[in-house]
Parts: sequence; structure tokens; C-alpha cells
Amino acid sequence: MLSRTAEHLYWMSRYMERAENIARFLDVANRTAMSSPGNPDAFWRSVLSIAGGEKAFNMRYSQASAVNVVSYTVLDATNPSSIYAALRSTRENAHAVRSVIPNELWEATNATWLEVKSMDGPRLREQGLIAFCEWVRERSHLFRGIVDGVMLRDEPYHFLRLGTALERADNTARLIGVPLGGFSPGGAGSDPFGHTHWAVVLRSVSALKAYRTVYRDEPRQANALEMLIQKASMPRSLSSCLDKTMESLMALGPDLECTRMVGALQAKLHWSKMDELLSEGLKEFVAGFITVNNHISTQLHEDFLMSA
Amino acid sequence: MAFDEMKSSAGGVRAPYRAYENWLLSLPPDVLRRKHEEADMLFRRLGITFTVYGDQEGTERLIPFDTVPRIISASEWKHLSAGCCQRVRALNAFLKDLYHDQEILKAGIIPKQHVLGNAMFRPEMMGIDVARDVYTHIAGIDLVRTGENEFYVLEDNLRSPSGVSYMLENRAMMMRLFPDLFARHQVAPVDDYPDILIKNLRSVAPIKCKGDPNVVMMTPGYYNSAYFEHAFLAEQMGIELVEGRDMFVQDGLVWMRTTRGPKRVDVIYRRIDDEFMDPDAFNPDSALGVRGLLDVYRGGGVTLANAIGTGVADDKATYTYVPDMVKFYLGEEPILNNVPTWRLEKEDDRKYVLEHLSELVVKEVQGAGGYGMLVGPTSTKAKIEEFRKVILANPSNYIAQPTLALSTVPTLVDQGIAPRHVDLRPYVLAGETVTLVPGGLTRVALTEGSLVVNSSQGGGTKDTWVLENDPC
Repeated sequence: MLSRTAEHLYWMSRYMERAENIARFLDVANRTAMSSPGNPDAFWRSVLSIAGGEKAFNMRYSQASAVNVVSYTVLDATNPSSIYAALRSTRENAHAVRSVIPNELWEATNATWLEVKSMDGPRLREQGLIAFCEWVRERSHLFRGIVDGVMLRDEPYHFLRLGTALERADNTARLIGVPLGGFSPGGAGSDPFGHTHWAVVLRSVSALKAYRTVYRDEPRQANALEMLIQKASMPRSLSSCLDKTMESLMALGPDLECTRMVGALQAKLHWSKMDELLSEGLKEFVAGFITVNNHISTQLHEDFLMSA
Repeated sequence: MAFDEMKSSAGGVRAPYRAYENWLLSLPPDVLRRKHEEADMLFRRLGITFTVYGDQEGTERLIPFDTVPRIISASEWKHLSAGCCQRVRALNAFLKDLYHDQEILKAGIIPKQHVLGNAMFRPEMMGIDVARDVYTHIAGIDLVRTGENEFYVLEDNLRSPSGVSYMLENRAMMMRLFPDLFARHQVAPVDDYPDILIKNLRSVAPIKCKGDPNVVMMTPGYYNSAYFEHAFLAEQMGIELVEGRDMFVQDGLVWMRTTRGPKRVDVIYRRIDDEFMDPDAFNPDSALGVRGLLDVYRGGGVTLANAIGTGVADDKATYTYVPDMVKFYLGEEPILNNVPTWRLEKEDDRKYVLEHLSELVVKEVQGAGGYGMLVGPTSTKAKIEEFRKVILANPSNYIAQPTLALSTVPTLVDQGIAPRHVDLRPYVLAGETVTLVPGGLTRVALTEGSLVVNSSQGGGTKDTWVLENDPC
């Protein structure tokens, strides 16, 4: 397969996954802010630290109010980290490889883009943020469903999976470390806001129900972190993302440097105790993970002759 | 009064349209319009669009699709098809001759300076042998009709004719919208076009290629107006869709960058003009091409389809000599006629044309897409005078033709079904053999009375049916 094709496929699924994750977090911030009348802006600011683009936001807005954050992260065409921009990039990359991907996948991606392109502030208000975020999630489910349901298990499929897994790992890592409504995760002891915090975080990755099934307890920090970092059976955990990355790399190039790097990180996450992983603090763990994850992406480009 | 392909017959409806007309009469009102809207929605969802250059607004547009088919009888097609193939055989023979011995110039049939001074003549091609002597592998022959038995060739497109994806997608759309129509008509299939094309492309592998040739489709990129078609054809043929930046030249061969390292490229079906193919040989600013490609080509390391330098044979002045080429190279009488054409480089012709501008169509010799032309009868006095000055500045750059009363076909417009002017572009494929699939792209001028069918000028398209048997 052409290296450029691989690159488009990889970024296509990365952007789709990014749109979904921004929507997931917006949704949770929205619901949480509604039930915390005290200081709702604190929730909205955390959306920015997950979605990215906080610096540019601060230059344009003085306050991280609901209206400002939503208009910036949802439909702002000039913000490269908006849902709008992510769906546009998904579609642009799909357009470049439409001869390679299933027609259904192209049609779905194109339809998603046409829909978000026709969306504006008044229509979004009328529809409501909750319904909109639900729609973005559904479009992403559809995207993955088509990939999973009809694609030949060869190179294009694996590059799509790599994009999804690496983007998701990055998002989950950011989510783990983000302070939310005044609560800073990673601290010792039992913070009175801890339960709420972790319930919110788990809900944003649709894992609260799963958490209750696994731990039969209210959300506690230690368990929540284990679930989000190490639990391979939880599809949005860091471990699970690395497993999927590894599976696809074994199919694409078992002897490549990027494969070795993923293997090393995967082993560390699988076999270390949680205490060891977090020995330097949660913030440091998250920052370290995001850095290595970025290095893997760079190495991937090098190993497959992709340009970026 | 223009010839109407459905209605112009002493006995009422012409035979090829009889079954269709019956069906149309039995149709509840508004069905066609609803189907029309459905088609629009589907084309948009499929992203079957073309890009309009210099248009601020979104830039991706649909080509209007008309749901009334254009129907051609089996015997009419036999005639057209034989004529188009004959023409392409002659044109390929001409290109080979021109880039080798130039017998036709020596025989004085075409003036030397006309060809050798032509900007599209490529001296780089002199003495170069191409596989199977095929220069134009894909040719679009534009045909018009003016009467029951009157067909004319309007122009030949020998560089990289586009539109064939619409021929295929229009058919798929019609089958989806009106399955019952296909039960009532024996319409000859067109969907083996990609199979014939890939077979031909494989058959013209360069001499340095041993074994199974790697054929690729080369596009200027996904911002090009015809990108959809490039992607569509690549997908249909199961070949890679490459851009110039995906390829490089090394050791006298062309390679493409893949996830498993460099892979050799043997045949390039390119949809990029000559000038942009190789910045070393042609336009040095081209970012679309591949450095050193021409040298590999000349050395037999790669085949380009179509060949470099075919443009010299399809400009509107060379066009006037094609009937002579048919006689000279094939020793046959031309099956299809040219439209009578005046060359403004000739003094007598020029005099006549300048006196009759309001009756004629004047075209730029190398123009395309309906740009740079004057349609006398529908122009204003001021526009004609303006164009006169342009012509006088460089007369040899223009030809003129009578304004043909292009045939009409019923078309769904705002007021209902009304006759609109059409042309027809069949796609001739040359490789091991010269063939064409039964059909082509019918373009229709949607504005009442308009004769300009180009999509860049607001024209639409129709599905073109060739019937398997003549109706009795």
C-alpha cells in the first residue's frame, strides 16, 4: 500500500476518535455543570485541557463560560481542536483514500461532515448539546462498525485501527489527569469530592456501569485508576489501547522499531503494580505516557515512510 | 427546428423511444420529480461531485443529472461505434507517423508548419517507440446529431478525457431509480468499461517490464476537479491511486513509496497534462509531477497513458485533417463526418468568418470546457465586436463552424418535460484492440435554446442507452 494512503487512513480514524472524545467529555461537563450550581465554569475549563486549544481560547475569550467553551469546541471552524474541525479532517482524509475504503465508510464519513457543516449556533441550541454529543458518538460508532463489519483484515484495516487506538490512549491519559471542578486527582486520602469526580470521569468513557460490575463499590480513586490504566478488558483503558496497537503492528511489521516501543510500554503497563506506575505521582505518569505515545506515533510515520 | 430524438418522426414517436414513452405516459404525475430529488440526494451522499475552480462557495458541486434517458438504437450505435474506432485507429497512426517518419507531412496532406509549430507538438517524442504503437489509449470522441441520419464529430479528446465515471454512475443510478424500465428495455451494459481499460493498460507494459505489470492511476490530487473520477476508476480497476509525490525515479525506473518499501511502477494512467508530468523536462514549477520521469519514459522504463504529445492531434485545427488521416493511413472512407470548419489562419476563411460572426460558432484552437468561445446567434452585438478584436489579434488561434442545430431529447426542467439540446461522448479504448463500450456520456444544455453543454457552464448529464436490438 502507498505510504501516503497509510497516512490518510491513520489520521482519518484518529480524527474520528478525537471528535468522539471531545463530544464525550463535553457531554459529561454539561451534565455535571447542570448539577453543580456552585462553580460551573471550572468544569468547562477542563474540557479545554482535554480537547486542546486552551491557549488560543484564552486569547479570544476572557471567561470559560458554557457558551464560550461550547461555541469554541463544537462548531468553531478556526479552532483545530473543535468537533467541527475534527470531522472536517476525518472527511478530508477519507476523501483522499476513497478508492481504498469501503463505499459505506466514505458515505458515512461524508454524510457526517455534511450534517455538521450545515449546523449552526441556533440549530445547535434547538437540538441541545446532549443530543448533539449523542449524535457524534453514534457517528463514531457507525464508523467503527463499518470498519469492523466489512473491511478486509489487511493493511488499510490495521492503519485505521492504529489511528483509533493511539488517539484513544492519548485521550484517556488526558482524562485521567485532568482536574475537575476543584478536585485534583492523584492526591492521597479521601477527598470528599473524590467519588463524584471519578463517577464523572468513568461516565465520560461509558465505564461507570462496568466499574460497578467489576468492583461492586462506589467509585474510588485507586480502583478507577486501575480500571482506566490497567484493565485490559475495558476497551478505553490504556492497556487495551496498547493491546490493539500491538495486534495491528504485529500484522504490519513485527520487526519494526515502533512495534518494539509499543511492546515495551505494553509490558510495563501489564506487569507493573499500580503503585510502581504511579510512584512519581499521577500527573507525572500521565505526562510520561502522553510523551511516549507521541514518540510511538512519530516512529510509526518513520517506519512506514509516511511524511509527517 | 432542431431534430428531436424522441418526437421527430412522421409516425409520431421514434422507434427507440416508443416503449419509454408508453411508460412515461403511464407514470403518475410527480414521480419523475421525486426520483430526480432522490437522485440528487444520493449523488450528494456518495460525494459524486466536481470542483469548480475560482468559486468561493464550497467549490464542490453536483453535475445536474436528468432522469430521462437518451436512447440510441442498435443500428445507430453500430454506425457510431465503427466510426469512432476508425477515427482512433487513424489518430494513433498519425501520432506514430508524426513522431517518426512524418510521411503525412512529406505527402503535403498536412502543412508542416501547422504541426511542427504547434505548442502541443513534443519534439522530445521524436523517434521514441511506444508499446503497441498506441498513443491515445483513452479517447473521448464528441458527437452531435442534427437529423435522422446526420451525425458529426465535433472534436476529439486525446489527452485525458474525463466524464466516464458519470457514464457508469448515471447507469447505476437509473437502475436504482427505475428498475422496471430495465425490465422493459434491453439496454446494453456499460459496466465492463473498467475491466477493458485495465486489460488494455496491462497490455501496453514497457519493454523493460518483465512479468506482471504494476499499473497505477495518477491524479493531481484530491483538490482536482475530476478527483472523484480518478478515485472511482482506480477503485474499479483495483489499482493504486498515486500522486506525483508518491513516486520517484531511480536506476532508470519509476518507483512508488509503499509501507513495505519502494515498489516498481510500469504503467501510469495519468490524468495530468504533459506540462506538469516532469519538472525537469517541462514546467519547472510543477509540484504535481515526477522528476526524471520523461527520461525513464523515453528509455522504455515506463508507459504513460495517454502518451506524451497527443495534444497535437486533438486541437481544433488538426481536427480538420482527421478525415484525410483516415484515407491516408487506413485507405478507408471516413464513416463519420467532421463539422465543416473554417480555419482563421487561411485568408479566405478568415474573410468569410469575420463577415458572418453572428451566424457562426468560433472556438479557440486549444480551448476546452466551453471557455473562450463565441456562439454568434445567441451573442449580443457588443460581445461579437469584442470577440472580433480578440480574433484579429491572433487569427490562427481560432476556427469557426456553422451553428449546428443540435438534436434535442426530452428533459425534466422546472416547467415539466421539455426538449433540450444534447451531445454525446463515447469513450474509445485502445490497447490490444480498439473498442468501446456501448454508451457514453450524454451532456445536456439545461437552459432553453442553449447549445453549450459543458458542465463548467451549467450543463447536465443523462444516462445513455444503447438498445441491444432494434425495435420492430
